[in-house]
Amino acid sequence: MGSRVAVIGAGMTRFVRRAQETGKELAWIASRAALDSCELTLDGIDAVCLTSAPDAFDGVHRKGDYLADGAGAWAKPYIRTYVGGGSGVFTAIQGWYTVASGMADVVLCVAEEKMSSCQPHPQGAFLTIFDNILERPLGPNLLWIFALEMQRYMHAYGLDKRDIAAVAVKNKRNAADHPAALLGQTDITVDDVLASDVLAWPVQRLDVSPISDGAVAIVMASEDAARRLTDRPVWVDGVGWNLDSTYWTNRDLAYPEYVENAARMAYGMAGITEPRKQIHVAEPYDPFDYKELHHLEGLMLFDKGKAPEAAADGVTARDGDLPCCPSGGLLGVGNPIAAAGLMKVAEIYWQLRGEAGARQVPGTPERGVAQAWGDLMQVGTVVVMGADEGGRGGSATPPQAPRATPPQAPRATALSESEFRLAPGARDEPFDAAYEWDAGEAMGRFLAGLEEATLLATRCSRCERVLLPPRMFCERCFLPIDDWIALEPIGIVETFSICHVTWDMQPLVEPQIPAVVRIDGASEGGFLHLLGEARPGDVTIGMEVEAVWKRPEEREGSILDLAFFRPRDLALRTA
Amino acid sequence: MKPRVAVVGVGWSGFAPATPSLSYKELMFEAARYAYADGAVDPRSEIDSFVCCSEDLEEGTSIFDEYVPDQLGAVQRPVQTIASDGLFGLATAVMLIRSGIAGVVAVEAHSKASDVVSHGRVARFALDPVLNRPLDISVLAIAGLEMRRYLEVSGRSLEECLAVGERSRELARGNVRASYASAVDDDDEPLFDPLTRRQAARSADGCVVMVLASADRASGGDPVWVDGVGWSQDAPSLESRDWARAVYAERSARSAFERAGLEPRDIQVAEVDDTFAYKQLQHLDAMGLDRLEHVNRSGGALSEGHLHEANGLARALALVEQLRAGEADVGVAQSWRGLPSASGAVAVMTRG
Amino acid sequence: MSERTISGSLPVAFRYTPGVANTRFLEALRDRGVFLGSRCDACDVTVVPARMFCERCLGATPTEVECGPEGTLESWTVGSVGIDDERLDRQVTLGLVRLDGANTVLVHRLLDVREPAFGMRVRAELAPERAASILDVEGFRPA
Repeated sequence: MGSRVAVIGAGMTRFVRRAQETGKELAWIASRAALDSCELTLDGIDAVCLTSAPDAFDGVHRKGDYLADGAGAWAKPYIRTYVGGGSGVFTAIQGWYTVASGMADVVLCVAEEKMSSCQPHPQGAFLTIFDNILERPLGPNLLWIFALEMQRYMHAYGLDKRDIAAVAVKNKRNAADHPAALLGQTDITVDDVLASDVLAWPVQRLDVSPISDGAVAIVMASEDAARRLTDRPVWVDGVGWNLDSTYWTNRDLAYPEYVENAARMAYGMAGITEPRKQIHVAEPYDPFDYKELHHLEGLMLFDKGKAPEAAADGVTARDGDLPCCPSGGLLGVGNPIAAAGLMKVAEIYWQLRGEAGARQVPGTPERGVAQAWGDLMQVGTVVVMGADEGGRGGSATPPQAPRATPPQAPRATALSESEFRLAPGARDEPFDAAYEWDAGEAMGRFLAGLEEATLLATRCSRCERVLLPPRMFCERCFLPIDDWIALEPIGIVETFSICHVTWDMQPLVEPQIPAVVRIDGASEGGFLHLLGEARPGDVTIGMEVEAVWKRPEEREGSILDLAFFRPRDLALRTA
Repeated sequence: MKPRVAVVGVGWSGFAPATPSLSYKELMFEAARYAYADGAVDPRSEIDSFVCCSEDLEEGTSIFDEYVPDQLGAVQRPVQTIASDGLFGLATAVMLIRSGIAGVVAVEAHSKASDVVSHGRVARFALDPVLNRPLDISVLAIAGLEMRRYLEVSGRSLEECLAVGERSRELARGNVRASYASAVDDDDEPLFDPLTRRQAARSADGCVVMVLASADRASGGDPVWVDGVGWSQDAPSLESRDWARAVYAERSARSAFERAGLEPRDIQVAEVDDTFAYKQLQHLDAMGLDRLEHVNRSGGALSEGHLHEANGLARALALVEQLRAGEADVGVAQSWRGLPSASGAVAVMTRG
Repeated sequence: MSERTISGSLPVAFRYTPGVANTRFLEALRDRGVFLGSRCDACDVTVVPARMFCERCLGATPTEVECGPEGTLESWTVGSVGIDDERLDRQVTLGLVRLDGANTVLVHRLLDVREPAFGMRVRAELAPERAASILDVEGFRPA
């Protein structure tokens, strides 16, 4: 493998709901803080790595270019990577290979997000992550993804919301000790979480991390440079990343296999064979409370379905056997998407140097893992870090001059909602570009089928799987597909949610019931749609449903030609 | 010792003004199949990492990286997306291989430009929202301003720029990918002077996939070695960037040549960005290749069409083909991200 | 088989705060009709509009410098097409203007510049009523 790579500095802004600073200025504040933390000038940086999640938040196309100057990339080699929510941890991986490849000795890795620019509500941008043909017409919102996954996870393992809500409590309380935190709360309780508004059952308002603006930066260096520049490098012992199929409705959401795959890759590289013993502190990605648990299982730190009870037993508390999210995580510190992931890497860095102040986990943690996740429940990014050998074993002596951490007092200028509305010089602008997407062969035929009230699937001649939504290739065998079959439009509910808000977070008078319906005859699940003629309280996983089509003259070759799925059992039907 | 990296497989699809019968997924699948067959690799078991190059607003989908793995044979594999063009993707693949974490890497970039109703509206969204967008002008203004300044400072002439387009069409005869080689408008028309329509490459759809491998995984065939890569960013803001020189090309070329242990005079063929005719000259000047005769023998984007994020990889593809055919032993491919960006990459390649 | 296309958009809208430095620049433009730049002594560069930081060294740049209102023309172009590539009814002329005292340029309209030339002296014309926008500058005329 390439040369050893270390993290030698870190800095961040405060995470705020609405920052006055532009994205460039946020990136600068974090980058400056990271450089100052290891007393480096920009001249000492050979290359810059940046990540930021969708341009649809900040509202600038090619956001990477826009942010480049704030990230110190002027006249430097510079690349923006991005893998959705997995980005923040991924940029540390990007920094790792940039150095390990010999292309640079010292790199600056920056993660930034300015979600407040997106109007009327940043959640609205998430409509656009769904498939343009099969999903967007249904008006899905971000909460659907999480609700459908949370429902499946809870169902598969018989989990209790109380145990899940406890994660939100732990993290929001932990965040009270984080100087950059948006929302640290010392007095929040499980009952508070369970009493908060139901957004999309089983997701409630306090299960969700807050939208934020912010930036984080770290400095990474080759072994030679690290030894020159710091006396306490934190080594990147292992990196891993993994992306699962786009066809998320064909996957069982109860377990994040791709997180496990990424973890195996990282652990393998780090020589970790017993993660539960060899990892001493973890920062799993926690955009929602259940996600921390879901990811801890994917990281193989707990058995499948068993993280909630371990957490309930206090194992994941700061003073527990395996402290998780001692930073306060996304739930507590805030969630400026890409920056939040890198915040976790920074936290492990500070923890392993004994510099996490009031958040410091007891003992001498020698190995930590940071993990992020994103896309359509698809990507896992994992980084394993290790304290320098000099700091291992024996009794820990605190640093001679204990420093406040993060070392620089995190800055950002928070604007209230009215200050934001009245900010001088502020501009409002819609993104008014239009697209005419070629549906292509697979979707063309599928949509033609829908117009005829038929559900068409394709079948791979090698693995014999019947694929719905249909595609012209089998992603498993990597072969073209030529074989089409029609399926009867009946199936079962694989997972569902009761959603009380629209895609732009307006309250709904009648709740919507999005569901993944597994169609009979399809090998692996089916597709996303809505349930109708059903009472929310009657819907169960496994319920048999059938398609209700629009009248022929109303059909036009769209996923909406299928109006909804209704219970096959007449007793469960409302109409 | 870092391993040497070779291009072992290439594939492409599209390269046409429109591809109405194919979705972007199907376009990618086709190019990937060709590339993997050319490189004799099975993506499910022999490719260690995948690098895709895309920008959400070009696709009309946020977090576009969600939509790539299946048609590339990359499901449950290490896949990353970079928000940059295909040549930066190639540089990323080189880094992955040299780091030791991957022995074989696939790089993909595509354009489904025909799906975008107005490129102007997408491109202007890359401008600074406070300082530049309120002027409400096409990003082509930047090309007009830059071209005028470049001609003044370099001493190059408008005639030289027009000659680039003519030469491009001559060179492109016989290039199956060149759908614009014979499409000459009867009358040229002004865009932002001195830039005219004939000097501007027009959009095309297409996908390029390349497979790179470390020397010990590059079995048989004729590897084309990627001996040097460089990439660079100038000031993103219009206010502080260099308006005469393509400094991103200067710097990336310098890094790439240094890494390859070569000088500009060692280069025998070049495939450089020619989004606008003047850019070809500006890029050659920046790279110290102004004397080079064999430039854009493919006809460049002026003849093949502008493939947006796949443009750089299209230039690299043309270079690989020329080196494989023995037309030269040493060549360079260069990319520019296009308006309004000031960034680009360079790859130096040598034959067998 | 027909070749279907699906029409759509990215239905997102934005509110952009100008940021810390741009706010100072735009307020100075609105209230006093002056162009604020920022200076980095370490790099010997004055940038207009003012910035919080120097992009070359990432140093903070709190030193403000008033630049212009006159400057030098460094390039120009006459535009015949709009954002959707449509022919414009009326051509638009833009220029790169380096205000006196600045090392950087502004991209803005040129007004009644009949014979533009490199190095020509121009002067900013401000709108009579200003709103803390870059359009508080109507353009640049021959000085």
